[in-house]
Amino acid sequence: MRFDASVTTTCGYCGVGCRLEAHARNGKVASISPALDGPANEGHTCLKGRFAHQFSRRRDRLTSPLIKENGTFRIATWEEAIHRIATELGRIKSDHGPDAIAGLASSRATNEDCYAMQRLMRAAIGTNNLDNCSRVCHSPTSFALRKSLGLSGATGSFTDFDHADATILMGANPTEGHPVVGARIKQAALRGMKLVTIDPRRIELSDYGVLHLAPRPGTNAAVVLGIAHVLHRDGFVDHDFVAARTTGFETLEALLPQYTPEAVEEISGVPAELIEQAAHIYGEAENACWSWGLGVTEHKYGSEVVQLICNTALMTGKIGRDGSALLPLRGQNNVQGSSDMGALPDTFTAYRSVDDEEVARAFEAEWGVSLPREKGYTIPQMFDAAVAGDLKAMYIFGEDVAQTDPNTAHVVAALENLEFLVCQDIFETETTKYADVILPASSFLEKHGTFTNAERRLQLVNPAITPPGGAKTDFEILTLVAQALGHDFGWDGPEDAMLEVARLTPHFAGVTYERLGRRGLQWPVAPDGTDSPILYAETFETPDGRGHFAALPYKAPGDAADGEFPLILVTGRRLQHYNAGTMTRRTGNVELNDRDYLEIHPDDAERLWIKDGDMVSIRSRQGRTEIMAQVTDRIEPGHVFTTFHFPETRTNLLIGSSADVNTSCPEYKVIAVDVRPMPEAATMVPALAGA
Amino acid sequence: MIDITIDGEAFSVAPGTTILEAAGDRVPTLCFDERQTPFGACRVCLVGVEGASGPVPACTTQVRPGMVVDTQDPTATRVARSVVELVLSELPGPPAEHTELAQVAAQLEVGEPRWPGARHEPVHDERHPYLAFQHEWCISCGRCVRACDEVQGTFALTATGRGFAANVVAGLDEGFRASACVACGACADTCPTDAITELSLLRLE
Repeated sequence: MRFDASVTTTCGYCGVGCRLEAHARNGKVASISPALDGPANEGHTCLKGRFAHQFSRRRDRLTSPLIKENGTFRIATWEEAIHRIATELGRIKSDHGPDAIAGLASSRATNEDCYAMQRLMRAAIGTNNLDNCSRVCHSPTSFALRKSLGLSGATGSFTDFDHADATILMGANPTEGHPVVGARIKQAALRGMKLVTIDPRRIELSDYGVLHLAPRPGTNAAVVLGIAHVLHRDGFVDHDFVAARTTGFETLEALLPQYTPEAVEEISGVPAELIEQAAHIYGEAENACWSWGLGVTEHKYGSEVVQLICNTALMTGKIGRDGSALLPLRGQNNVQGSSDMGALPDTFTAYRSVDDEEVARAFEAEWGVSLPREKGYTIPQMFDAAVAGDLKAMYIFGEDVAQTDPNTAHVVAALENLEFLVCQDIFETETTKYADVILPASSFLEKHGTFTNAERRLQLVNPAITPPGGAKTDFEILTLVAQALGHDFGWDGPEDAMLEVARLTPHFAGVTYERLGRRGLQWPVAPDGTDSPILYAETFETPDGRGHFAALPYKAPGDAADGEFPLILVTGRRLQHYNAGTMTRRTGNVELNDRDYLEIHPDDAERLWIKDGDMVSIRSRQGRTEIMAQVTDRIEPGHVFTTFHFPETRTNLLIGSSADVNTSCPEYKVIAVDVRPMPEAATMVPALAGA
Repeated sequence: MIDITIDGEAFSVAPGTTILEAAGDRVPTLCFDERQTPFGACRVCLVGVEGASGPVPACTTQVRPGMVVDTQDPTATRVARSVVELVLSELPGPPAEHTELAQVAAQLEVGEPRWPGARHEPVHDERHPYLAFQHEWCISCGRCVRACDEVQGTFALTATGRGFAANVVAGLDEGFRASACVACGACADTCPTDAITELSLLRLE
C-alpha cells in the first residue's frame, strides 16, 4: 500500500471549497487528490490544493509555545504560556477594562475555531473588539448584499455558471485566485456562455470572453451605472419583478440618466460602445450571473459598487433561479464562515447585531455571562487604538497583519505599542516578531471542523495527520485559554461548538456533522436539514422582504495619479501563491514562482527606460520598495500591478489608509506611485533613450 | 424513462444515458473518465447488444428502449482482453498495482502478455516540481490531454507520434515547466498507468 490512511476533507486554500482526498504515509501527507463528488470542484483541484501541502511538515513549523524574554523568544511549556496569557490579559482587563483587549479570528481556521474565538473574546474577556480578515477583503460584499438583498452570501452556487447564458466577471482573476472556479468559467465560455470581463488588466479569461472592459482603477461605479443606464434605456427592465419584489426603483431611475455610455467613457476610459455591448449581453441573456472579487471591494466605494451590481440583477429580475445569480468569489477558505460565526465586532452568528437585545440574551443564557451591547473595534480601528494607547493587548490568531494589512508602518507601530500580544499560528511570521507569547497551532490538514465556502456551503474538515511536535489544534488552544480565564466552553469537541451554533442560530438550525456528510449544506439550513442552494426565489431576506435598489452616484477613488506619482498601482494575487504566502512559500510552488514582480506596460517601460527583468524602485505617498519589472501588455498604460506574496517585497508598505466608506476595507487597488529604474553603479558611459 | 435489460437485470434510465452509465462498474474501461466526454477509443468497454452486428462500446452508446445488453458477451470480452493484452505487451513490465490499468487487467483476467516484441524504454522527465513523465508507460488513451482541455482548459498537453511511437508531450515537447501547464495535476489524476504521475509518489519514503 502506498498510503497508511486516506481521509476526505475540504481544501484550506481559497474560498472555492474543493473536496479533497488527503493520503498520509509515515505521519506526513504523501499526496492529495480531488474528491470526485465534491460539489464545488467535481473531481478537480489546482496546484495549491493538490500539491502545496509540504508546508505541513516543514522544519520551521512552530512546535512548542514561545515566550519573549528580554527581547528574545525562549521555548516554554503550554502551562507556562497559558498561565502567562491569563495573567497578562487578566491584569490588563482589571487595569483598563475588557475593551483594552482585542482579538482577531482566522479565516483559514474552521467555523468551530472562529466560534470559539468569538466566545473567548465576548464571554471570557467581555469585549466585542473582535474581527477577522474579511474586513480587508469582502466586508463590502457582506455589507452590500445585506443592504440590497438581506443575507451575506452568494445568491447561488458555482453550478450557476454552467446554466448561465452570460456572465459578467468584474475585478476578479479566477484562473489565478480561484483556479477551480476559473476552470469552470472557462469551460462554460468554451461551450458558448458569453463572458464579459471587467478589469484594468487583461486577465486570462478575457481571452475566452466576448468582451473585455478595462476601466481606470476606482471607476467601477461609473461602469456599473453605465450598464444600468443602458439596461434601463433599452427596455431590459423586468417591470413585473421590480413592482412585485423590490423597492426604491424610482430613486435609481432618477439617478441613471446622467450615466450615459459617453459620460461613463469620460470617467472610466471604457469606450461607450463597450458599455452598450456589455449591457446588451447581460440584458438579452435569459439567465446571467455577476461574479466579482477584490477588484470590486477593495476600494473607497467598494461596498457601493456591490450595491450597484445588485441593482442590475434586481432591475432585470436575474436573481433567485438557476443560472441567474450573484456570486462573489470569497478569498480565503473560510472567510465566509468566520464572519457567519460572529467573529466580527458588531454581530453574533449569522450577522445578528450585538445590540439586538433578544439575541444577546440568548447568548448570555447559554454562556452564563453578561455581554456588552456596544460594537467593538474593526481591524483598522484596533491599530489606531493601539497607536493611541487605548488598546493594550491583542490576541491574533492565524493572521499575519504586518504583511497583509495596508500601511505596514502604522500596523507595526500599533503592534509595538501594545503591552501584550499573543500570536497563535503555524509559523513565525512578520507579525509574530512583535508577540510576547506565540502558541503553536494547526493547519487544516490536522484538524476536525467545518469550512464554509463561497457558495455558503458548510463542509467537513478532517485531519489527515496530527499536529507536529507540541503543537495543538486551535480549538484545543482556545478552549485552554478560555478555561485559564475562568470560562469553560463545556464542549467535548468541535461538533459540540457547531451544535451550539445551530441551537442559537435559526439560519444554522439543522446543521449536524452527520447531515453535512460528503456534500455539505448551504445555509440557511432549516431544522429538518433542508438547505438553500438558491436564495431569494420567492422573497428577499430584508426586513420588508423586498430587494432594495441603491441610488449611489459615482465618486472618485481615494488616490489619484499626479505629477509626482504618475502611475496607478493595483495589487492582487498570482496562481502559485496564496495571500501572504505563509503556506505556499514553503512548498514546491516557489520553484514555479519565487518573487513578487511588477507588471508594467511596454509604453511606460520604454518611457522610463525599464527593461523586462530590471529591478525598479516603486514609491507611493506611504513608502518605497524595490521589485523586478515584467513588461507586459496585459496591463493598460498608466497602470502597474503587483502582489504581496513575499515579505521581502513588503508591497503593503505602499498602501495608504484610504478605505471603504461603509466597512473600512482598505483601498488596495488604487495607489498612485512613481516607478523608476534602480540606480546602478556609475558606468560613466552616457546612454541613449531606447538603447 | 427508458427500460433496458443488462445481464438479465431490468433497469429504467433517463433518455441520453449511455450503456456504461447504466451498467456501472461491471464494465471495465480504460480511456473513460467521468469528468470527460466519452471518447470511445480503447475498446475495453465493449459489450454485446441483442440484434447488433457486433460488440458496441458501452461508453459512447446511448441506451434505446428495450435494449438487451450482455456485458459478458464472449466476442466483446475476447476483444477487450486482446486489447488490454496488446497494450500490456508494449510496456516495460506489469503496471503498478494501484494503477487503473492493473485493475482492468485483473478484472478481465489478463495475465502476462503472450506477445513478445519491442517494449518501451524508460524516458523520464522530472524537471517540474510536482509532475513527472514516465513516457514508457503511456498507452495513448488520451485521458491526460482531455483532462487538460475539458477539465482544466489549459490545452498544454498534446498527443504525439504514431503507432509504437505514440505518446504524450507537454507543449512542444518542452516538459511541463516550460509549457503552458498550470500544475493543476488533472493529467496525473486521470492517468491510468502513471505515465504522468506526481514526483513525490515516485520518491515515497
